Amino acid sequence: MKNFSKYLGMAVVLAGCATATPAPTEQLALSRAAVANAVSAGAPEFAAPDMSSAQDKLARATVAMTAENYDVARMLAEQAQVDAELAAAKARSAKALKAAHAVEEDSRVLREELNRKGGK
Amino acid sequence: MNPNMKRSPLSLIAAALLAACASAPTGPTPLDQARASYSRAQTDLQVVQLAPDELNQAGKALATADAAQKAGESDSRVHQLAYLASQRVAIARETARQKSSDKAAADATAERERIRLQARTAEADAAQRAAAASKLDAEAAQRQAEASQRQADASQRQADASQLKLDLSQRQASDADARALALEGQLKELNAKKTERGLVITLGDVLFDTGRSELKSGGMRNVQKLADVLKEHPKRNVLIEGFTDSTGNSGYNQDLSDRRAAAVRAALQNTGVSADRITGRGYGQGFPVASNATAEGRQLNRRVEIVVSEDGQTIPPR
Repeated sequence: MKNFSKYLGMAVVLAGCATATPAPTEQLALSRAAVANAVSAGAPEFAAPDMSSAQDKLARATVAMTAENYDVARMLAEQAQVDAELAAAKARSAKALKAAHAVEEDSRVLREELNRKGGK
Repeated sequence: MNPNMKRSPLSLIAAALLAACASAPTGPTPLDQARASYSRAQTDLQVVQLAPDELNQAGKALATADAAQKAGESDSRVHQLAYLASQRVAIARETARQKSSDKAAADATAERERIRLQARTAEADAAQRAAAASKLDAEAAQRQAEASQRQADASQRQADASQLKLDLSQRQASDADARALALEGQLKELNAKKTERGLVITLGDVLFDTGRSELKSGGMRNVQKLADVLKEHPKRNVLIEGFTDSTGNSGYNQDLSDRRAAAVRAALQNTGVSADRITGRGYGQGFPVASNATAEGRQLNRRVEIVVSEDGQTIPPR
């Protein structure tokens, strides 16, 4: 019985090892890359809430990683990645809209000028 | 024991919290919301067309979440996967918006270039029209200037001509004056007298023999002198008038005066004075210049008067 308990204990430990979450190193790298990509896409300016959410989650994921709380680290890192990707998409979208408006405004001014000249 | 419980203390807490939430009356779960937003995105043509890859990723994420729920994974795991799916749908929507804006920008750029080209074309046309117009203006101005110049030249020529004419008439006038003076001087020898009818030279009785019409040599000299003067003044004409005294009958006197006038005329013609410059007639005993009662008076009345005209004029007969 003693031995059994011992084995059981070992089994439990082993089971624990077997089911224990591996360190989400790869996910964290993906998240970091996504955050960096969002920053270079201009998200801090054009999508500040999503950007800071992603950075915050990445920071907490890093802390959890250090604490070997891998489940939490993975969860936060996954969220940080999609948040960062959304922030980047929003930044690109906002910039594209701005560019479109600028060109449209150019065209409008040009057309007005032309009409004014044409009407002279 | 639930194997999930072994994962981490945090999972336990989360599960506890989720269990608490689940027991409370709640609305749609995060997975429900993810499903709903994904189906909306699927019916959005813009998303379907412009962000198919992102929409596909969102669909996969949702399928994973659904599978997790079906597999009975923890609520926290399902929520996590639902969150990721929702975010993927949002990314797909945002990407579609970006593509749409890119397209709008491209369209606007093309439109702007079209307008610019139009503006440049219009400007070039306008410049060309302006150039043509100013060329026309310049040509008109040139023509006007030339016309003005021609007019000025014409005026100048007219003025020159007028001046010339004036000079000429002045010269002519002074010429005429000088010539008139010269004539007077020349005729002075012939005792010419200035009268209203012109210069009058009187050939006295002594130059003719009594009752005869032939000029004596003295008369011929006088006629020669007059002829010389007339040659110098070709525009002067002469009128020759013969007179007698009242002695004898008037018919005879008329005839004598005619013949004496004719004799002087013939003499002048003989010296080369043109016949058409000379007119002449006799007046008999008419127009006496002195009394016929005395011999001196009668001698004065027997005479031939030669009237010299002004330039180019003829002398009216008495």
